[in-house]
Order: sequence, then structure tokens, then C-alpha cells
Amino acid sequence: MARYVEAVAPVESSREPWALPRAVRAVAHFCRHKPLGALGGFLVLVMLVMALGAPWIAHHDYDYSIAGSRMKPPSLQFWFGTDNLSRDLWSRVVYGARVSVTVGFLTIALATMVAVAVGVSSAYIGGAYDMAVQRVVDAWMSFPYLIIILSLMAVLGPGLLNLILSLSVLVAANNARVIRGAALSVMQNPYIESARAIGSGHLRIVLRHVVPNVMATVIILATIGLGGVILAESALSFLGLGVPPPRPSWGSMLAGSGRSYMQRAPWMAIFPGLAISLAVFGFNMLGDALRDVLDPRLRGTGTGPGR
Amino acid sequence: MLRRYLLKRLVVAIPSLVIASLIIFTLPRLLPGDAVQLMLEEKAYGKDLDDLRHKLGLDRPIYIQYFTWVGQIVRGNLGESLWTRRTVVEELGSRLPVTLLLAAMAGGFSILIGIPIGVLSAVRADTLRDYVARSLAILGLSVPGFWLATLVIILPAMWWGWTPHLGFTEFRRNPTAHVLQFILPGFILGIASGAAIMRLTRAMLLEVLRQDYVRTAWSKGLRERVVVLKHSLKNAVIPVITILGIQFAQIFSATVIIESIFQLPGMGRFLFDAILQRDYPVIQGINLFVVSIIVLINLLVDLTYAVLDPRIRYS
Amino acid sequence: MVRLSRRDLLKAGGGALAAVAVPHLASTLAHAQTPKRGGTLTLRGTDPPHLDHMLTVSFKTHVLMSFTHSRLLKHKAGPAVASGTFPLEGDLAESWTQPNETTYVFKLRKGVRWHNKPPVNGRELTAEDVRYSVERFLTIQGNANAYMLKTVERVEAVDRYTVKFTLKEPFAWFPDMVATPMAVAIIARECVEKFGDLKKPEAFIGTGPWMLDSLRPGLGQTLVRHPGYFVPGLPYIDRVEQIVDEDSASRIAGFLAGKYDVGFDGGLIFRTEWVQIRDALKQKRPNLRTADVVTNIMSHLSMRTDRPPFNDLRVRQAMSLAVDRKDLMDATSEGTGMFNPPVPAGLKEWSLPVEQLGEGARYYKRDVPEAKRLLASAGYPNGFPGSVCFTTYGSSILVDQAQLMLKYLKDVGIETKLDQKEYGAYAASCLVGKFDSMTFGPQTTFIEPDNYLNQYMPGEAKNQSHVNDPIVTDLIVRERRTFDTAKRRELINEIQRYLAKQQYYVQIHSGLSVAVWESALKNYGPNLGYDFGGRVTAAWLDR
Repeated sequence: MARYVEAVAPVESSREPWALPRAVRAVAHFCRHKPLGALGGFLVLVMLVMALGAPWIAHHDYDYSIAGSRMKPPSLQFWFGTDNLSRDLWSRVVYGARVSVTVGFLTIALATMVAVAVGVSSAYIGGAYDMAVQRVVDAWMSFPYLIIILSLMAVLGPGLLNLILSLSVLVAANNARVIRGAALSVMQNPYIESARAIGSGHLRIVLRHVVPNVMATVIILATIGLGGVILAESALSFLGLGVPPPRPSWGSMLAGSGRSYMQRAPWMAIFPGLAISLAVFGFNMLGDALRDVLDPRLRGTGTGPGR
Repeated sequence: MLRRYLLKRLVVAIPSLVIASLIIFTLPRLLPGDAVQLMLEEKAYGKDLDDLRHKLGLDRPIYIQYFTWVGQIVRGNLGESLWTRRTVVEELGSRLPVTLLLAAMAGGFSILIGIPIGVLSAVRADTLRDYVARSLAILGLSVPGFWLATLVIILPAMWWGWTPHLGFTEFRRNPTAHVLQFILPGFILGIASGAAIMRLTRAMLLEVLRQDYVRTAWSKGLRERVVVLKHSLKNAVIPVITILGIQFAQIFSATVIIESIFQLPGMGRFLFDAILQRDYPVIQGINLFVVSIIVLINLLVDLTYAVLDPRIRYS
Repeated sequence: MVRLSRRDLLKAGGGALAAVAVPHLASTLAHAQTPKRGGTLTLRGTDPPHLDHMLTVSFKTHVLMSFTHSRLLKHKAGPAVASGTFPLEGDLAESWTQPNETTYVFKLRKGVRWHNKPPVNGRELTAEDVRYSVERFLTIQGNANAYMLKTVERVEAVDRYTVKFTLKEPFAWFPDMVATPMAVAIIARECVEKFGDLKKPEAFIGTGPWMLDSLRPGLGQTLVRHPGYFVPGLPYIDRVEQIVDEDSASRIAGFLAGKYDVGFDGGLIFRTEWVQIRDALKQKRPNLRTADVVTNIMSHLSMRTDRPPFNDLRVRQAMSLAVDRKDLMDATSEGTGMFNPPVPAGLKEWSLPVEQLGEGARYYKRDVPEAKRLLASAGYPNGFPGSVCFTTYGSSILVDQAQLMLKYLKDVGIETKLDQKEYGAYAASCLVGKFDSMTFGPQTTFIEPDNYLNQYMPGEAKNQSHVNDPIVTDLIVRERRTFDTAKRRELINEIQRYLAKQQYYVQIHSGLSVAVWESALKNYGPNLGYDFGGRVTAAWLDR
């Protein structure tokens, strides 16, 4: 299956340290040639700022009820309106970025580490080990992702950490396969052969030559994967398996009270929904642009667990 | 050559299926709480629970239950529901067509959305048209499916007192209405996977357009459309087939939500309920069925690919 | 979809109907319009897990059964019956007597016919059928509701039309338990013998006003009029279509579009939903009739009262004082509803209004300083940590309530963490009292006060708070043995007054739901409980 991944080419490993002016020029170049990617990057940046600066950006604590302000429409005082428990929606959306970023980044970090370890080792060691690992990954991948997540979430129980664990198990399996493909084609390069010839140890070859050359693949997978994880969290919220309260996740705001009160207080659904869409859009656009720039031939790696 | 390849792929698929069957069997058993506890709910007294477990054969050692199950499957019996006593095969018979039709609609829409946009944005790469088309496709992916579905149902009802669906229409009652009712949910599902197909088509086409024979076609002065459609697209679309298996798995997952909102009696929703109810034979039976289908689709995809693209190594 | 029973119970607990008692029918209708035969009633239905009502506690099966099966006794129904009250009348029983405290004799109607389907083929119902049904109810493995008749020692068919029950001990609620739509519907032995159990649709044969015509899993059920129904002329409605529609947005849309003839939660619509669609409905469906109904859906905070800190009375009182019931009502029920003493306010005849709870009444009004004082005197001046076990039941209202509960507790220094579980995990643990600290969630809805008191009896699985209070146990045992209704009511009032002081469970309010029905549906009165079939048996459609 998925034979296309084996055609992935290595990226030339650049030894030069990235000097600041060069980085600035690179960013400017990126913005000029990939305006959509730049827009995506900007959206991602906004989300990160919201997440990190939530206590300063939000007007209230996410859980604070403002007496006498139930379901107020957006206004100068309440930018995004208030919800059915009289909480300021702007503050909740800002804190929601923190939850989404936490879930997204931790999931992807965990999944990427596992995927790189499994994928690279599988490609490097090969033989029976590769065969066994690939069969397990194949079996895992032939499940519709929701079945795996539902079962894992039910086994582990709802909770932020469990959500991250379940999602990362899933993302890891998908990415391991792609990374193995990338690593396989890196291995065909003459410099790996030379490294062997001069007697470099296995660990050294893997860490100095193989891993750096699959990093482009890893970064692209991770960027697009982040969007997928945010969508997956909202889908799980709809099924009652998202981030449990009182933490404000965009998914649970939209799928829970947002959906229940949508005729009367549409802003309760519109703003969290907008936040989800913009974030997912941002990650996807950024990922696509990175793909074009870093590795035009990495293609069709799916969208990660989405909806 | 092809036959040997097929044989090899088949042999390789078997261990995957065996591992999958182990996962399928074990995973639901790890769920906290069991069917019996859910049947008795808050009146669950210890002795009643044990008696009922015994009656349903859930008190036997787990490995014996596994081998019994595998034995049943080999004989073509997927088991019967602990709750309804309907057989899994019976349930599949009525629910599979619903999900398949929904998935087919979704697949159709995703191709209708994905390939034209992919072609446009590759041919006109990095122009305004590319940006707009691509943004739209990705935006479609970025809106949670359940939210889109909710809007489609609620807004017309609020504004015009009209709903897109008035209960599920069975095929034998009204074939046209039966098929038509899948269009909206199919479209909503299709938007999501359309973006993935768009992405792949665009990447493939960009690559093909860079290749020599396309340049040759250009230099011969053929009209651009001919160049693109005749020479490039054919080669570019082949790899799109490869992600169909993965897309099917994803679409099947998404049907759980769409089927609940649009009240379609398909497999996704049924499986979800079975998980909630800890109806082990149903969870196992459906999972096994779905996984086998996906393994089969992937096999077919690989074969098609091998036939269409002679460059492939039969590895 | 076969969603879990309790979860929708929360949503459908309200459903109610009432067929005016047949003998009264003539007089009620004397100066009304003449009933019309025919028509189809379309309802928002559910997908029952299976159809054997003795093997499930799901209201989905029990509600469907109320259209097709009969019981010995039933509750009166119709516009003349106030919702929240449940006067008894005969169903299959023409009359019943109680020769002594532990014996009941039921005289059956003659000429009651089963639905004309194999293997029963429309034969006459006899006392033996009743005896068989009760015996199966008591002995079949996996009948969670068997406790309702656990006082029955013996049931005999004395002759073709007489059934005699002998009880082990006096049980004043016995007629109510015989009448409740959650317990014994009369079934035919041939069906059990032929099909093994009654889970499949072909075994769904009763003596009720409608017959199951088709059951389409995940889609709905069609019921058609039973021509041989034992009340001549009834039912008036020819056909009942139940459409499975489990998604909240979808059924609101369906209702707005005129798909359902009555409110989509068992005839009712939750306040939060009603407020949103009220204006749109005025335009789109101007002919709807409505009535406010206090539901019997009651959520509570339960706790390990067998352990510190909850074994200290002052701690429990402080927790009740911490809860802002008024705020909960405003935030989650649009400011409508009633505070619940231990017997929910929805059961009008038995629930004691909060102001009449005496000394305990003050624990229903928020008083943070007093709560803190009580906690300090119990040795927790800075409060204590805890966790609240919880499952969403798919209801965003419940999620909101849980969040507010956590806040209230925090205000008096009780720092709690929400321990959310998936329903199956919850049912296997917290629902049956297996938790360490606290649990928040709805209770199964009943229409008999006594069923709500079971959770105070030691050894009951639903005694989540692990209550073991000899005073309460004694009062409940006495109340169950008291046949004089006025005296029994006084005992139940005493129990409520005592429990209000004890706060073993901190109960929150019940919202005011709106009963909604098409004005073309005549002679219909909304009520609580699962007997929807009973409430439309004598109703008719004028369109």
C-alpha cells in the first residue's frame, strides 16, 4: 500500500548555521512567493500568541461568570458576546487556543518521536524487524481511526492527557509509514555508503545522516497533522469524548452549548467554530507551502485524523 | 510477474489480518464496564451480574472466547448481538448498503471537488486563481463536519420551515428519494477528503508538468489544454488511486457523525452504539468486516497501480 | 440508534399521555365533539435496544410497549387528569380487591383478545397468561426491575378470569407497581416458547390498542390499530408512526418543519430548546397547544457518606448551602422550575414543597458564610479536596450544571476535580456507588415516590451515597406497610423533612418543560411517565 512514499527524495543537509539576516531574507522570500503559506503562518502565529499570552489577552478568567450577563450578543464590552453561563466568550476562545495548542503540539510531538523512531529504525534495520513492524502498522492503519480513538478513549477514560495519548498513537502509525519511506530513499544515497565505509557507527549514521534528511518530511507531516488533531478534537467533542470541562476547548464549546443554543445565541457557536476553522486552515496552508518549498515531491500524505 | 506479485501481496496481507483480528478482539474487552453491567444499570447486584455473564458465555477464559470467535468466522458466522440477538450478518445486510452509498457519494464528490481544483491550481500555480481555489478547498476541510451538517439542517428549518430530510426513505419505497437523501451528507463528507485529493493531484501534476515529455508537447505547440489533459493528467491521476484505501477508512470514520446527524441507519452509527453498549460480537464483527474491506481495497489499489504504471517495481 | 437507556431517559423522562378512563369517556365527551376514527399520529420515536421489556430497563422498549401491551392496572389519562398525578384504574382487570393486607385478587375482563398473529392468533387472554407473565418477570435472569415486585410470594390463576397474589409482607405500593409501565406488561407464553425470548419483533405480541406492523432498526416503528381491542371503538387513531431521530439539531428541525404531532421528548420539549424555537413555531405552527409541566428529572450530587469527610452531617449541610439552586435554574432552565426535596417536585401528590420542609428548608437556600462556618466546625476550616465522578449523557445542560456545581463547592473551599467517564465506565462504577468522593448525575425517573426512596435503603445498588441510617430505613419500611393514604403521606412527608436535614444527596431543581401538541389531537392530556400509548388510546385526530 501507499507505494508513492518511497519516491521521496532526501533534502540536502545544510551545515551552515542560519545567520539572522539570512533567516529574515528567507522569511521575506517565503512571504513573497507563498502568500497563502504566509497567511497560514500568520494564523498559526496568532494562535500561538493567544495560547501563550492568554492571561494577558483575555479579559476574564475562562471560568468567570459575569453576573447579569447571560447570553449577551457581541459588543464593545464583550467582543464575542457571553455564553449561557454568563462567561465572556472572547476570554474562553483565547484560553481555548491554549487547550488546542497543548493538545495539538503534545500529540504531534509524541507522535513524531515515536514515528521517527519506528520509521527510521524500520528502514535502517530492515529484514524481519522491518517486516514485523510494517505488518503491525498495516493492521493498525486499516482501522478507521475513529474506532481506535473511541476504543482507546473509552479504555483510558476522557481527559486531556488520555486524549493526547490516543490521538498520538494514531498519528504515529500513519507518520511512521511515511517516514520509513523517506528514510529508505535516504539510505540509497552514496553518502550513507561512504559513511559506512569510513567506519561510522550505526547510531552516528542514523543521527548524523538519516534523521536530518527526513526532517523536512517530519516538519511537513507535523504541520498538517496539527490541523488534523484540532479537527479530531472537535469531532470527539461531538461524540462526548473531547476535553472535559471546565477546560475550554473550541471543540467542546462548539459541539456542546454552542450547538444547543445556536438559534438563540449563534455567537456561542460562531466564534469557537471560526477559531477552529482558521487554525486548521492556517496549519494546512503553512504545511502545503512548506511542502512546496522543502520537498515538492512529498505528496498525498493525507490529512491526518480529521473528521 | 503480476501473478507472483499478487500472490506475494496476498501472503503479506494475512499476517496483517491476523494481527488486526487480535486487536479487534482485545480492544473492546479492555473497555471498562461490560455489556452485562449496562443491561442492569443501577440495579446491578453482584450475583445477578455473574449469572447473566454466565448465561451469555462471557465468564469463559478470554483465549477460549477468542478461538471460539475465530472458529465461527472461519465458518462464515460473524456472531450475534448480545442485546438484540440479531446476527451481525443480518445487520450488515441492511446497514452496509447505506454506508457504502454514503461513502461512494462522498468519494464521488471528493473527486469532483479535488481533481478540478488540483488541476487548476497546478496549471496556474502561484497565481490568484490558484490561491482562491486552493483556499476554498482547504477551507472546506477546515470546518468541522458536524458543524456544517448542523447548519444545513437547522438554518433552512428556522428560515423556511423546511428540512433537507424527512426521515430515512428506504430504497424499496422510493428509489429516487432514497438516493437523493444521500447527496447532502455525501457532499459534506466529500468536502473533507476532496482537499486531500486536491493536494495530491496538484503535487503530482506539478511534478509531471516538469517532465521532459510534457516540455516536448509544449514545444510542439499543441494547445495547452491538450497538453495538460492528454499527457499530464493521465499520469498524474494514477497515484491518486493509491490514497483511495486510506480515504475510505477516513470516510468510514466520518460516517459515524454524519449518520447520527442525518439519521441514516448505516454501519458507522451502529458500530458507535455497539461500542457504547459493549456489544462485543457486534464490535468485533463489524470491525473485522471493515478492516477486511480496507485491506482488500488496498490490495486492489496496489494491483491497479501495478497494471497502470509499468514502472512500478514488484517489490 | 440504540443509545443507552438512562441517557435518553434524561431526555424522555417526561413523556406522558393519558387516555381518559373509558367509563368516563362517555360523560366527558357528551358535550364535546364526536370523536373521529382514523388518521396517523407521527411521533419522534427511539430505537429500542430490543423488545423484551423484562430484559431491559430502557424506556425505549417500555414506551413502545405502552402502545401494544396491557397491564393489570394503568393510570388514568386525558385532559381531566392533572399532570404529575397518577390515579389508578383497571386495564385488563375489571376490578380488584384486597381481602387482607397481603392478598390481592384481580378479576379480569372477559373477551380480551391477543393480537391476531402467530403463534397466539388472537386467542382470548386468561388468568394463566397473567400468572405466567408475573412469574417470568420475577424469575428471569437479567430483569433489573424485578425488585418492584419482590414482595410477591405467590401468584395463582384461581380460575379463567381471576388472579390472586399473595405477598410476603404488606406492601402498600403494590397496586402502583402493578400499574407502572416499567414493570409487568402481560405477554403470552407461546411467544416465549416459540422465540426463546421476546427480543425480536415477531415476538412482540400483546393485547393493547395497537399492533406492531413493522420495526425498522435505526429508522422507526409503525403501529396499526388492533381491531380486536377490548374496549369497543378504541383506539380512534388508525396508525402511529414513530420515527427514530436521535440528534438534537435534527429533531428540532423536524419539529419546526411539522414532522411530529407532539413534543419530541415524549410529548414534552425542554425549556432551553423551547425558548429558542418558540417564536419560529408561532409562525410556522400556529395551531400548537402547550402546557407547562414540572418534570421528574432530578439530578443530584451523591457522596460517600460512610467515610470522612461526608459522614459528618455539617459537611453535607454545608455542601447543600453552597449550591446556588436559583442560579442553576436561571443558567440551565431559563429561570423556570422547582426545587426538589427527596421526592421530586414533579410528583405533585407526594412531594413536599421546600418551604414546608421545616428545619431542613434552610439548606435549600444558598448561604456561603454559614456553609463555611459549618465546615470549620466540622474541622475543615479551609475546605477539603475531592473529585466528582460524571458522565455527560450527551446533554450539554448536564455538563453546564456539573461545571456550576464545581464552582459552588469551590466557593466554600471544597476544591473538586471533574472525573469525567464514558457512559459504560460510569455505569460500571459511579452509578452503582463505586467511587471515592462524589458523583453528579440524573436519577432514573419514576412516577411512584417509593422508587425514589430506594436509594436510601442499605444494600440497594442504587444507594450511591452509601446511606445507612436506621431512622430512614425504619421510616421507609413503615411507610411501605401503611395502607391509609393520608397516614402514608404523613410518613413520606416526615421522611422528606428528615432527609432535608441530612442531605445525603444534594438534589438540584427540576426544570419546567413544555408539553406541546397539535390542536388537531383531541382528548389528549400530557403527563409524566412511559405510558404514552395509554395517553393516546382515547385521543383522536380532527383533521
